Amino acid sequence: MAEFGIALIATLIKVGVLVGVVLGVSAYLTWFERKLAGHIQARLGPNVVGPFGLLQPLADAIKLATKEPIVPKGADVPVFYLAIAMALVPSLLLFSVIPFGPEFTLFGKEIKPLISDVNIGILIVFAMGSLAVYGTIFSGWASNSKYAFIGSLRKASVIIAYEVVLGFAVLGVILLAGTISTVEIVESQIKSGVWYILYQPVAFVLFLFCMLAESGRVPFDIQEAEAELVTGYNVEYGGMKFGAFPLAEWYLNVIALSAIAVILFFGGWSGPAIFGAFSPYIWFLLKTFSLVFFVLWLHWTLPRFQAKDITEIAWKIMLPLALANLIVTAVVVYVLGGK
Amino acid sequence: MEWIILGVLGFWLVASALGAVFVRNPVHSILFFLSSVIAISALFLSLGAELLAGLQLIIYAVAIVVFYVLVITTIPWEKVKRFEGIYKKELLFSLPVLSVSLLIMGYMVYRGELAQPVNLVKDNVRDLGKTLFTSYLFPFEVASVILLVAMIGAILLGRKED
Repeated sequence: MAEFGIALIATLIKVGVLVGVVLGVSAYLTWFERKLAGHIQARLGPNVVGPFGLLQPLADAIKLATKEPIVPKGADVPVFYLAIAMALVPSLLLFSVIPFGPEFTLFGKEIKPLISDVNIGILIVFAMGSLAVYGTIFSGWASNSKYAFIGSLRKASVIIAYEVVLGFAVLGVILLAGTISTVEIVESQIKSGVWYILYQPVAFVLFLFCMLAESGRVPFDIQEAEAELVTGYNVEYGGMKFGAFPLAEWYLNVIALSAIAVILFFGGWSGPAIFGAFSPYIWFLLKTFSLVFFVLWLHWTLPRFQAKDITEIAWKIMLPLALANLIVTAVVVYVLGGK
Repeated sequence: MEWIILGVLGFWLVASALGAVFVRNPVHSILFFLSSVIAISALFLSLGAELLAGLQLIIYAVAIVVFYVLVITTIPWEKVKRFEGIYKKELLFSLPVLSVSLLIMGYMVYRGELAQPVNLVKDNVRDLGKTLFTSYLFPFEVASVILLVAMIGAILLGRKED
């Protein structure tokens, strides 16, 4: 009973810290993205509210929270509200299997810096990434608006296609590591001393594409193509209800999937101990945010694909590539007598 | 402690299954079904069958339900809102089947013994994979062929031209 209570309290503290940090970082990622976009487009970006526009996310949050809530006529009200939760919850749950560093001891107890050390970590990532599709589909359907519905169907076709590619791309790494637990994948990279991006460059490129597609970033953002669909599936939402969708899709998903990419391909928290005791965490965050930065950079540089091209690329080019990569990896691992 | 978790999950499962049956709107019904699938996966997780929980989420909650959702959400709203009434004849036919199977299940629970784990497995992912691809390879491949045939049939039925 006491053991259970301690475990429960430790988990609750971890969840609280993680949710707080992740939501705070996402809020400031909006500021960072707008500054970056301004820099890329040769303008200043937010610079009025606070020094360097640093209070802009707070101002935005107050503005969104104080807006009048509007529910469109003919909308399915329970589903309309439920869709927000269905978009946010999977993106937050993605973080539950991300290990931020090695185990450490605090007050004589072993503490792992991840929320749940299940042995199917990567499967949970796939499942949550695909569950996010329901938020998009139902927000579009419940709004009773044609623009929103077209956007949500587009997003559904993208997610169905890229989820398959993602699974087959990551299987190469799983074969090398011989496990599907996130912690053990990192540990096997540290033990062998090689990051898996060296063995699996094709898988990494495919993973990067899938990451962009799942988080609805450019060049895969056909579900909210401003020029054709206004803003797509979330067009009927207002105020903070609107804010939840980009928060989940553009920020939480990008951070989580970047962290997963770091775990799978860049050796997780491994790196030379040049920052003292905190160096594993600093390495992990540095790697993750370089990937996040790369995604933002692409977003403000590339144009958008056509809707039909996206699914064709996925099924006709990326899936065969992923399968070929998987077969070659399997044969090599078998011949070299892997796990 | 485990009884509380089991109770909550069981209540969630039964409530969402009942909801899926009794709700009138098909989209609400599919949402209740989704909720019950997630509840089953949570039950697997609480029992330590992590791989089953993950597969339940990926295969049922996503791959299968998403196609139901896509089909149902593209039905026009007027048809969604129309209520076709309670299927009285079907209820009458299914009642004896249901009650007999309930009786059999109740008898089995009352007289039988619950299965005990023979030897605990440490890595259920590896063991399940090995079992599937060695002892049960033939049924596994037969199941995949059946699915392939069903897919070809669906494509044939769905073709509009010629």
